[in-house]
Order: sequence, then structure tokens, then C-alpha cells
Amino acid sequence: MSRKAIFWILCTTGTLLAVAITAVWMFLGGDRGMLVIGKSTDGHHQIMTTCETCHAAPVFADAAAAERALNQTCRNCHEEELKAAGDSHSRKKFRGPRMAAYRERLDARRCTACHIEHRPEITRAGAVTVAMDFCAACHSEGDQDVRKVRSSHAGLTFNTCASGGCHNYHDNRALYEDFLVRRATQPRVAPLPVHSLSARYRTRQLPEKAALRRRDAIAPESALAEQAVLNQWATSGHAAGGVNCAGCHAPDAAQGAPRAEVEARWVDAPRMRVCEGCHKMEARTFSRGRHGMRGHPLIAPPRDPGRRLEVLGLGGILPEGIAAWLADPVPPTRMTVAESRLPMRADAANGTLNCGTCHRPHAVDIKRAAVQACASCHDDTHTRAYFESTHYGLWQAELAGEAPPGGGVSCATCHLVKIERRGKIMTNHNQNDNLRPNEKMIRSVCLDCHGLGFALDSLADTGLVARNFRGKPAVHVKSIEWAKRRAAAAEGNKGR
Amino acid sequence: MMTFVEELLLLTSDENGELVPMQDDRYECAMAGAALMDLAFADRIDTDLQMLVVSDHTPTGDSMLDRILAKIAYRRQAVDTRRWIRDLSEDEALTIQESALDGLVERGILKHQEKKFPWTSRSQRYVMVDGKARNELSLRIENVLISGDIPDPRDIALISLLDACDILPDVFPGKWLERCHPRLEQLRKMDLIGREVAGAIADVDRTIILALRARSTRFRKLLLALSVMGALATAATLLSPRVPVPDRFGPTFFELLWFDGLWQQWSGYALLGLSGAGFMTATLRKWRPAARMGGSKWWRFTHVVIGICCALVLFVHTGFRMGENLNAALMLSYLVMLMFGALAGISINGASQLRRIGVSPKPLYFLMKLHVIALYPLPALLIIHILIVYMY
Repeated sequence: MSRKAIFWILCTTGTLLAVAITAVWMFLGGDRGMLVIGKSTDGHHQIMTTCETCHAAPVFADAAAAERALNQTCRNCHEEELKAAGDSHSRKKFRGPRMAAYRERLDARRCTACHIEHRPEITRAGAVTVAMDFCAACHSEGDQDVRKVRSSHAGLTFNTCASGGCHNYHDNRALYEDFLVRRATQPRVAPLPVHSLSARYRTRQLPEKAALRRRDAIAPESALAEQAVLNQWATSGHAAGGVNCAGCHAPDAAQGAPRAEVEARWVDAPRMRVCEGCHKMEARTFSRGRHGMRGHPLIAPPRDPGRRLEVLGLGGILPEGIAAWLADPVPPTRMTVAESRLPMRADAANGTLNCGTCHRPHAVDIKRAAVQACASCHDDTHTRAYFESTHYGLWQAELAGEAPPGGGVSCATCHLVKIERRGKIMTNHNQNDNLRPNEKMIRSVCLDCHGLGFALDSLADTGLVARNFRGKPAVHVKSIEWAKRRAAAAEGNKGR
Repeated sequence: MMTFVEELLLLTSDENGELVPMQDDRYECAMAGAALMDLAFADRIDTDLQMLVVSDHTPTGDSMLDRILAKIAYRRQAVDTRRWIRDLSEDEALTIQESALDGLVERGILKHQEKKFPWTSRSQRYVMVDGKARNELSLRIENVLISGDIPDPRDIALISLLDACDILPDVFPGKWLERCHPRLEQLRKMDLIGREVAGAIADVDRTIILALRARSTRFRKLLLALSVMGALATAATLLSPRVPVPDRFGPTFFELLWFDGLWQQWSGYALLGLSGAGFMTATLRKWRPAARMGGSKWWRFTHVVIGICCALVLFVHTGFRMGENLNAALMLSYLVMLMFGALAGISINGASQLRRIGVSPKPLYFLMKLHVIALYPLPALLIIHILIVYMY
């Protein structure tokens, strides 16, 4: 056989082999990182461990079905928060036949109309992948033309609607007109600047339980020998709340079990689900936030090559060894600091994000978790500037007892905000709930201490945000004046 | 005595005794020129500034030469030598070559071999019996180029033919030929046929050489210009920053072009079609029935034009975006393939210009091989690219 013939046979075989291997990656299992067409958005890169989490359509589904499935996966995670925010442009609004004309311009029933993944080039703030003057799609013509309907908006361009601090597409809880008018006269700083939920949380009465002391600890001898750990536990909230060593280290042992059983079932490093057993809401919100979203219950499990072959009618043809070799790599359930896209401290790179990362497992110190734990990883200008800010001064004053409970502002005050559920106050570990657009933070945090106007101006000033609010806002959002003027005009018309 | 066509074929065969496949319009022109020279030396044709005519209709005894003689004789409107070179190189080059190959086999200089591979068509090869005839011929031409003796008119004619078609550097590669330049210059100015042959033949011969030189140069300049264009278009795609899309709401043309699935599909399939056409033009020209259609030069021209179109459609498809991961590999592989193709075109068609600036074009022929090698990963990458688009 000539060299030429051998060469062509090799080339054809190589091509077929490469295509076959890729097809196996795509359909059966294996790492598919090489197939990704572009960098994911900052909000989703944590869950870029399995494609099926978002691409949930069956393999040979048509384009429309694939897109429907994709949008459903968006809603699986985001619908709850959109509902809580009273989504200003909910899907419902665009369903009727009257909205057909608007849908032609921008089909807002689909999340993917404005948010397409893997398109870094056209991804703007808030993972928006259409131009930021997208409001023009519906609000630039006819009776929806805001430049005509509202005299204050005459001559404005549409690219400032969402970026000027006046409007958000989804969450306008702190930006709607009546709210602006009601809060128009608020002073810059409240007479008693205290974050009410934080204050209530810190002064809450713990359930009456027998607090445990050092001598009450039930653990193997080797564990009890670690004096420092024992001391930390004895002064922690867990001991005060009656949680013994076995509560975490021998979760399978019956409550009040004798030492022998505890020793038999002892686990040196309890898994996170042990924390979840008691702190359900915290764990739930953690798994929806940026730190813990890899643990979200809707993250797709690894593909099973055997079952995928069954779909093709080829079930059982793969020997177990090959099926195991083909199986997807098990996605990491926790993020490491090194994977973050934000500036992080180099010495924290190997850290994994779980409960114990911020809450030391024995010295459960929520004060440490509120500031020092954040700064032990985050190394951006906003974080560094915090330690020079008034907010930090107030936090130190609160810790020193010189300011009332809730009077200090820690990282957690704004980013892991306190929420009330069924009369119980807890920490929302989903920082995304009030992170971006930052006006989402106004009602849950800022307004407890500041006036609406001041909060709007401050959050619109990106430089001031970077300086962690050290100084005065250099930006002024006119929406309150405009809302007041419109309300006064409406009042005048009513009087006439 | 061997004919000019046979001598030309022998000289252009490689050192291993295999004949160099005719892939180049230089060889096609040379074949046409050699056939006309054979007719001129047989006193069958005559030329003036306006036309080439048959002066003696008596058959030469060589079937191929007689066929060309008949073709010239029965043409209704007489045309000049340049036109005959063009027509014969486009329509008859392959026939001339095949006929000469048969002649060489009959003389016992070449041996015909046929091979059949599994799943492939039959492959025909011509190999030297012992290489003696080629060595003698090569030595004879070398002697003419080195010595200061008055050469044989046939040798002058053959050297002029090789020189006019820019084949001499292929026959005598390396620095050796550069040292022969003064002698070559002397031969060029020498009364071609000299006193031993009638002046009429000298005129015919000179006309053929001039026509060959003009014909060969003009087309190669066109291909050179196109190759340079191709190289620039590919370099622009490699080096230019991506063309940004306007930050304005609404389906702008560029946004549709580079981010709309449907438009991307159209431009993608157009690129795929063009790439396939480029591949076909490169392979079909070696297929005899196709090679007979217009000669290899039009296949090459089409191939180069398709290459430029590929670079342009690639811009339409990507807007200078290199992509990521497998897409980046596909893009890079495609651009490397285009770039080596363009550089190969420059090295082949600009050989004389490159020699003038001191670059030996022989190593640049390697670019053609790289152009072909860069093609191998493309089918797999393309199929995977399409699979990804439809699967996700």
C-alpha cells in the first residue's frame, strides 16, 4: 500500500475518531469544558460544572423545545426572587394578544431574549445581552412613549433609564413613584440609625435550654484532650443552646446516647448537611447565593452513560468498566476561593466555601463571620475601603457597646441581610437577593438608617461605592424631584 | 531523436525517476511551446507578427504533432502565436503530455506502472527504467550552461523554452544556476538557431519563446496578486481586533450577522460550501476529465479566488472573532490553512520576483504541503462545531 493511501486512511480514521470521541463527550459523559463557546457570566460561572443544569432539553429536542427548557431552568432558580420583588415586567404582562407588537420587538416572555449565556462580548451589567437602551423597544412609541407621557422625561435618551439609578427592569421596589413621593422628605441620616432586624436579632431571647459547660461535653477521650477546642465550644452559641459535641460529630447517634455509642458513631469532620439539619433556612439561602450555589438542589447530577444509551435503544451494550470510565466527572459541590472572578487574597486561594469557612466550627462567632471572614478572602477596593469607612467605625462601636445593637454596619449587614420568616429572624445567606442592581438593597438595608434620596444618590455613585461610602455622593438622582413634581401636578388637577 | 516535449518531460521528472505531475500553468505553457517548437523544427509552421500558419501540410509521423498541425491548418481564422500557446496550453497540454509519455515508454526510457489500492481508484505512474537518458540530457544542458562553446540549436531552443516558462530553477535547483546567469543572458541574446538552421525557423522559434514568456508571466502576475490579497485578508482576520456591535437596541445589521442564530447558520453554511468548493477545485484538477476542461490554470485561478472568498465570508461569519476553546481551534486551523495557501501561491507565482530579491523559492514549495497538512484537522473540527451549535 502506498504512503499516500496509508496517509488518507489515517486522516479519515483520525477525523472519524475525533468526531466520535466528541459525540461521546456530548451525549454520554466526560468533561465538556473544551466545547464551551464562550466565558459564562459572573453570576453563573460557579455552576458551570454540568451543561444539563441549564441545557435541560432532551438531546435531540428541536430548537424551540430547547429554548423553552433553557428558559424554564432560568425560572427554576430566579422565579422566586422575581416574585418577591414584584417583577415589574413579569412574563404574564407579555402574554396577551395586545402585547404581540411589543413581543415582536423584544419577546420579554423569554429570559433568553435579554440574557444569553456564553456571550461575554455583549454581556453588560446585570448579565444583560441586549443594548442598555432596551426600554426603547416598548416605551418609545404611542401612548407608551415616556418622553411624551412624562414631561420630565422629554429629551432623555433610553440608555440612562436603567443605569441612572431611576429604574430597574425587574425590581423597582424602592424606585416606584408613590414610594419616592412618600420618602421624599427623609433626612440624610435617620435620627436613630439602627438596622432594625439586626437589632432585634442581637437582642433576641434564646430558647430556654440547659446551657452546657465543659464538663458536659460528650466526646471520645482524644477529642476531649484538645483543650483549646473544648474551651471554644464551651463559650459558643452551640453550648449555650444545648448542642453537645455529639450533635455535630455523631449525628447518627440517638439524642442523649451514652459515650460508647457516641464514640462508635464519631465523625471527626462533620459534613455540611449536619449544619443543614438545624439551620435549614440558612442552608437553603446559602445554596441559592454566590457562595453556595453549587449545592443548589437543581444542579444537574452527573450523566449516567448507561441510561443515556438506553435512550438510544443501546442500553446494556457498554461493559461496566467502560461505562464507569465514560461517566461524567462528579462536579465539585463547593467553590474554592481560587475559582472566584473577584479580586481575592492569594493566601485564601485554597479555601473552600462551606459553613465552616466563615463560621469557625467550634467558636461559632457570628461577629467574626460578619466582617473578618469576608475580608479574609475578598480583596477588592470596596472591601479594603470598608476598614476606613464610617460604617466600620459604627460596627466597632457596636462591638464595644458604645452603639446600640444594630447600630453598626458590618459586611453582613448589607450583603447577608437579616430577614424575618414566620416571626423568626435569620440571616439570608443568598447575597444575590440584594446585590445587583444595588437599588435592591435600599429597602432591606439602607432605609433603616438613611433617607431614600441619599441612598439613591450614594448607590448611583460608583466611585463612592468603591470607597465604601466614605465621603458624599457626587451623583444626584433626580427621580424624587420628578415624582414629587408629577404628584403635585396631579394633586392640582384633582383640586381643580 | 526525442521530441522537445519528451525532453521537457524527462527534465522535469524528479530524482527518484517519478514524473512531476503537471499542476502548474508554467508546465502547460511549456508543453504547448515544446509542441510548436517540434513543428517549427520539422518545418511545418511559420509565423509573422500577426499569425501562425502551416507552411507544410505533410504529416510528421508523430500522431500528437500531426493532430496539432491539423488543428492549426483547419482553423478558420488565423491567429497569432500567443493565442495558439494559450489555446494549446488550456486544451491540449494533458494530451501532449500523455502522448509524450507513451513515446518515452516506446523508447524504453520510461516504464508504465499501475496500482490498485483497496477502496481507491487505480493509480498510474511512470518511472524511469534506469535514469540514463535523463542524466545524459541533464548533463548536456548543464554543459551548454557552463561551457562557452557554441551550442546546438536544439539545446538553445530547449533552454530558452525552460527559461521562458521559468522552469529552469526547478530543473537545476540551488545556487548553481545563479552562477550561470551571465551565460544564460548570453544564450538569451544569441541568435537562437544560428547559421545552421534556416532563418525562418529562427523567427518561429523566437516568436514562440516571446509568446511563452508573455503568456506565462501575465497569468502568474494575476495569481500572484490574488495570492497577496488572500494573504492580506487572512492576516487581517488573524490580527485585527473584532468589529464591535453597536450599543443600540434593535436588530442592527452587524448584531444580526454575528449574534443571530439564523444569520450565523447562513454564513456558516456558505463558508462550508465555499470551503468544500475550494477543496474540490484542488482535487478535481488532478482528475483527467476535469483537468481537460480549461487546463489546470483555471482550476488554480478558481481555487485562489475561492480562498479569498473564504477569507471574506469568514469575516462575515465571525467579524474577526477568534472564539474560545474548540471554536478557537477551528478558527486558528482554518486561518493557518488559508495563510499557508496564500503564501504557497505567492511562492509559486512570484518565484521570479522572489529570486530577484534573493529568496530561493524552492523551500517555499514546502508551504504547499503545509497548506494541505493544515487542512487535515478541519473536517473533524467543523463537524464538532456544527454538532455543538445544534446540540446546545
